[in-house]
Amino acid sequence: MSIDWIIVAAQIGNFLVLLWLLKRFLFRPILDGIDAREAEIAARMQNAVRAREESEAVEAEYRAKLETLEERHSELTDSRRRQAQEQADGLVKEARKRLEQERQTWRSQMDQDTRRFTDGLHQAGARALLSTTRKALLDLADAELEETMARHLAGQARAMAPEIRAAVGQGRAGVLTSQAPLSEASKAAFSESLASVLPDTQLTFATDASQSPGVVLRMGGAELSWTIDTYLDGLDARFEAQLAALATPSGEAR
Amino acid sequence: MTLSPDEITLFTILGRSISATVLFTWIVMALLTGSAWLVTRRLRPEQPPSRWRTALEVIVQGIEGQIEEVTGRRAPHLLYFAGTLFLFVATSNLLLVVPGFHPPTASLSTTTALALAVLIAVPLFGITSRGLGGYLRNYTRPSIVMLPFNVLTEFSRAVSLAIRLYGNIMSGAVIAAILLGVAPFFLPVVMDMLGLLTGLIQAYIFSVLATVYISSATAPSQPPATGPAPGPAQGKETP
Repeated sequence: MSIDWIIVAAQIGNFLVLLWLLKRFLFRPILDGIDAREAEIAARMQNAVRAREESEAVEAEYRAKLETLEERHSELTDSRRRQAQEQADGLVKEARKRLEQERQTWRSQMDQDTRRFTDGLHQAGARALLSTTRKALLDLADAELEETMARHLAGQARAMAPEIRAAVGQGRAGVLTSQAPLSEASKAAFSESLASVLPDTQLTFATDASQSPGVVLRMGGAELSWTIDTYLDGLDARFEAQLAALATPSGEAR
Repeated sequence: MTLSPDEITLFTILGRSISATVLFTWIVMALLTGSAWLVTRRLRPEQPPSRWRTALEVIVQGIEGQIEEVTGRRAPHLLYFAGTLFLFVATSNLLLVVPGFHPPTASLSTTTALALAVLIAVPLFGITSRGLGGYLRNYTRPSIVMLPFNVLTEFSRAVSLAIRLYGNIMSGAVIAAILLGVAPFFLPVVMDMLGLLTGLIQAYIFSVLATVYISSATAPSQPPATGPAPGPAQGKETP
C-alpha cells in the first residue's frame, strides 16, 4: 500500500477532465433539457389556463346570451299572450256589440212589424167596426152613417161655434176630408149642416186614404175631427198587451 | 497477488509507464462521456425523452435532490463536482464485476487524488461563496484556540475519505480474488454482488461527505445567539 504521487497528479488531472466532460456532455444538456421541458410544460399549462379562462369567458358570454334570449322569449310570450288576450277581448266585445246591434235591429224590426200589424189590425178593426155600425144603423134606424155623422158634426160645430169662428178668423173656406169619397147626399148634408152654423162657409170635399174612417173639418187653423179612432184606442191597448205577452220568451215569462 | 492496480504497468508512452489505474480511469471516463454524449447529442425540447435520456435524468435529478437535501438549496456547481465524483466512483466500483477490470478506486493513489480534489474544492467553494475572510474566520470559531484543530480536522477528513474508499474497494477486490482461488464457482459471485452493493454505498458516502464538507464551508454564517456557525469541523461524519 503506497501512494504514487505521479498517479495522484494524473488522477487529479483525469478527474478535472472528467468533471469538464460530464459538465459539457451530461449535466448541462440534461439540466437544460429538464428546464426546457419544464418551461414547455409551464407554457402549456399557461396556455391551458388561458384556454380554460377563454372557454369560461365564452361560456359566460353564451350563458348571458341564453339568459337574454330566455328573457326576450318570455317577454315575447307575454306580449303575444297580452295581444291574444286583447284580441280575444276585442273579438268578444265586437261580438257583443254586433249581438246588441242585431238585437236592437231585431227589436226594431219586431217593433215595426208589431206596429205594422197593429196598424193593419187597427184599420181592419176600424173598417169592420164602421161597416158593422153602418149596417146596424141602416138596419135598425134606416139612417145613413155619413148623414148621421154630418148632423152630429153640425151639432158639434154649433156647440163650438165661438171657438171655430175665433180660430178661422175672416176666412170662410173649409175642407172636409174623409177616407172614402162621400156620396152627394152626404156632401149636401154636411154643407147644409155647416151652413146652419157658419153661413158664409165655402166647403170643399177631399179624401185621404190614410185617415181614419170618419170626417175631419179643417178651417183656417181649426180642426174638428169626428172619426172612429177614439173608439179603437181601447182595442189597440188590448192588442198591444196581447202581442207583448206573445213576444215575451218562455224564460222571461217564468 | 497485487493489492493495487498501481503496481500493474500495462504499457509505456513517451517513456512513461501507464499503470492499470490510469488506463482503467480513462476507460471509465470514456464510458461515462461516451454514454452521456450518445444520449444527449440530439436533445430537442420538443422531442419526447427516450428511455436512456429518462434514465440519465433520473440519475441527475437524484443527485441534485440529494445535494439539495444536504445543503437545503440549489447548487448547480456543486452538482457538477459531487455528481462527477459519484458517477466516477460508482462506475469504477460497478465495473468490478467485469473480468480483468481493475477498479481505479482500489488504488490509494486514485482515492488520494479524489480526496485532494475535495480538500481543494472545499476552500474554493467556500471562498467563492463567502469570500476569503468569511471562509477563514470559520477556522477560528468558536475561538482562535480552535484554529489548529480545525485545520487538522480538514486534513484528517481528506485522509479518511481516501482511506475509507480505498480500503473498502481494495478489500472487496482482494477478498473476491482470494475466494476465486478457494471456491471458484459460488463464493466469488456472492462476493461480487456484495461488492456491487458496497461499491454503490461507498460512492454514495464519498459524494455525500464531499457535499457535506463543501456545504458546511459555503453555508451562510449564523448569528452567535442562535448557536455556533457551521464550520469545516462541523460536517457530518460517517463511520
